[in-house]
Amino acid sequence: MKRKYYILIGLFILFFSGNVYSQDLDALLDAQTKPTVNYATASFKASRIINGHSVEQMKKKQLDFRISHRFGTLNDGAYGLYGLDRSNIHFSLEYGLTDWLMLGVGRGSLNKIYDSFAKFKLLRQSSGEKSMPVSVSYLTSIEVNSMKFDTTRIQLTPTTFAPRVNYFSSRLTYVNQILIARKFNDQFSFQLSPTFIHRNLTKTELDKNDIFAMGFGARYKLSKRLSLNAEYFYTLNPNAKVMETRYYNSASVGIDIETGGHVFQIMLTNSQGMREGTFIPQTTDSWGNGGIHLGFNISRVFAFSK
Amino acid sequence: MKNKLIILILLITSVSVFGQDKFIAKNAYISFYSSTPLEDILGESNEAVAILDASKGEIIFQALMTTFHFKRALMEEHFNENYMESSKFPKTKFKGTIDGFNKAMLKAPVASIKITGQLNVHGVEKSITVPGTIGLEDGKLVATAKFKVTPEEYGIIIPSLVRDKIGKEMEITVKDIYVPFGQ
Repeated sequence: MKRKYYILIGLFILFFSGNVYSQDLDALLDAQTKPTVNYATASFKASRIINGHSVEQMKKKQLDFRISHRFGTLNDGAYGLYGLDRSNIHFSLEYGLTDWLMLGVGRGSLNKIYDSFAKFKLLRQSSGEKSMPVSVSYLTSIEVNSMKFDTTRIQLTPTTFAPRVNYFSSRLTYVNQILIARKFNDQFSFQLSPTFIHRNLTKTELDKNDIFAMGFGARYKLSKRLSLNAEYFYTLNPNAKVMETRYYNSASVGIDIETGGHVFQIMLTNSQGMREGTFIPQTTDSWGNGGIHLGFNISRVFAFSK
Repeated sequence: MKNKLIILILLITSVSVFGQDKFIAKNAYISFYSSTPLEDILGESNEAVAILDASKGEIIFQALMTTFHFKRALMEEHFNENYMESSKFPKTKFKGTIDGFNKAMLKAPVASIKITGQLNVHGVEKSITVPGTIGLEDGKLVATAKFKVTPEEYGIIIPSLVRDKIGKEMEITVKDIYVPFGQ
């Protein structure tokens, strides 16, 4: 009896240990695989959601060449081929100096503005070994309006005039933006972009020099290479209405199409400008009356890493 | 009787717990390479882990997709986002046995072998037999493998737009340098 009992125990242990043993190897491997930090990548397809910046930026030694167009408004009607007769253009070169710093320079035909910016990656959304709920970047830029200065003399009284004095600093606009984004899942990402803009010289005395705005941006991936984007900039202290010119908040919808090295962004927007200093405080068209511009951004990335 | 049982238990536990017969390769190398006239794509990881069980000639290998790095940042993004879907399928795994294994192989100079097992990529598991080598190289136990797979076999869809830039076959290269487990 006793002998049978021992054999049974022996068999049981043998069986049990054999079982443990075969599972062992998988468990052992998992235990030896280093835990990693999973950073959220590609919260947005490109460095812009539509007009405004996204938290994405070029990695080290990657150059993004961007060409953007905004056509005229749909309410130009058939005579103006629904806006296609008019277009303004923006070119830029944007380079990742490091993984966390991107520098860019550009030129837009609207108001002949030259611009330069720096985008700093401050926080990266991550899960796993390190956890961070959002990605945060800081964007700062300077825009230089290069239109010819107005040289008409200033009329002091009906008969006396003073020569107009122009300063280079009058051409400058400064933009500061914090970009806070979260990739909720593979499809949906959302971004908040609190913005502060300072313009050294405004068109009229009624226009504000300092503009505060809050940007809202989102993307929804329809497929692996196609996403639907929307963007809205709410201006907290909008410019006063000047004569017949009214200012509106910038609202845009668009799609991103990705094809290997290119990203095509096609959008409808009420803003003509393609830089923060223009489209946030100076959007003069409205979705309400068909002041909608068709536009596109094309991004082509070149790699300069070894 | 009691003594025999104790010996039996000791014998069993010594095999399964102490695992004297196991070798591990941390920081194992794995790469995949695709070449077309338009573009060469090379993704490499030095953070894979492999375990060799010398009692049975079994090899188990695992790599996290996000540890693969590329020359172009965009390739890396597309690799994870569009092709491997790394958030859904975070790792690739191989578990196989060396054909005609005997322990002497581990102490002999590098020789050709074949390994048969299951390769799991992108959530799809397939049986494959891959050619490789195993043996001592500069006093270290080294195992390598080089074989080809097609992305379509593992449910990885390559759109026609970029089909010309991505090779029909991917060449996978693996190199493990083993040390006795626990060292």
